[in-house]
Amino acid sequence: MNNRIKEFRARYNLTQEDLAKRVNVRRETIVFLEKNKYNPSLKLAYDIARVFDAKIEEIFLIG
Amino acid sequence: MKKGMVVLLVAVLVLITTGLWFFSSSGSLKSFDMVSFGVIILVVAFAVFVGYKRLISAKRGEPAEDELSKKVLLKTAAWSYYISLYLWVALLYIKDRVSLDTEEILGAGILGMAVSFAVCWLVFNFRGVRNE
Repeated sequence: MNNRIKEFRARYNLTQEDLAKRVNVRRETIVFLEKNKYNPSLKLAYDIARVFDAKIEEIFLIG
Repeated sequence: MKKGMVVLLVAVLVLITTGLWFFSSSGSLKSFDMVSFGVIILVVAFAVFVGYKRLISAKRGEPAEDELSKKVLLKTAAWSYYISLYLWVALLYIKDRVSLDTEEILGAGILGMAVSFAVCWLVFNFRGVRNE
């Protein structure tokens, strides 16, 4: 599963640390998400989508 | 934060105990003891690293544990369990073929379990865990 977290983060001018604090995870988790080395739980995907005011499918792309 | 401090405290206690053992028997240390001592130092270094990481996370205001770290721990526990099973089978096989005491065999098994856990954790922590 690919994602556009980095792109959205840049758009909202958020650092990895800021995003991690907003969704209550460690910075490493955001790093692994951006590198596509970890697929988030539905809750984390939902929380990230809420931070970026977008739909989950706009941020997380299957295939 | 609290868990990180506990990990560091346990690491310090292990280090002190190992130091006492090392200095009290420095005249009669066998090569097996030296290897055990080295492995204990490595395991303590691993514990210090884990404790330090937790403290840094706590200082940054992040949770000490999240879904990724829990998944890493779960996968580490599963893999190190499988590896430990094979390790004990191997030790049972070699126990009659080497001149080691029962305590030394047991010590090697326990240290081997600790090392397999540390190695698995490092691999999964730096490689990441994909949801299969």
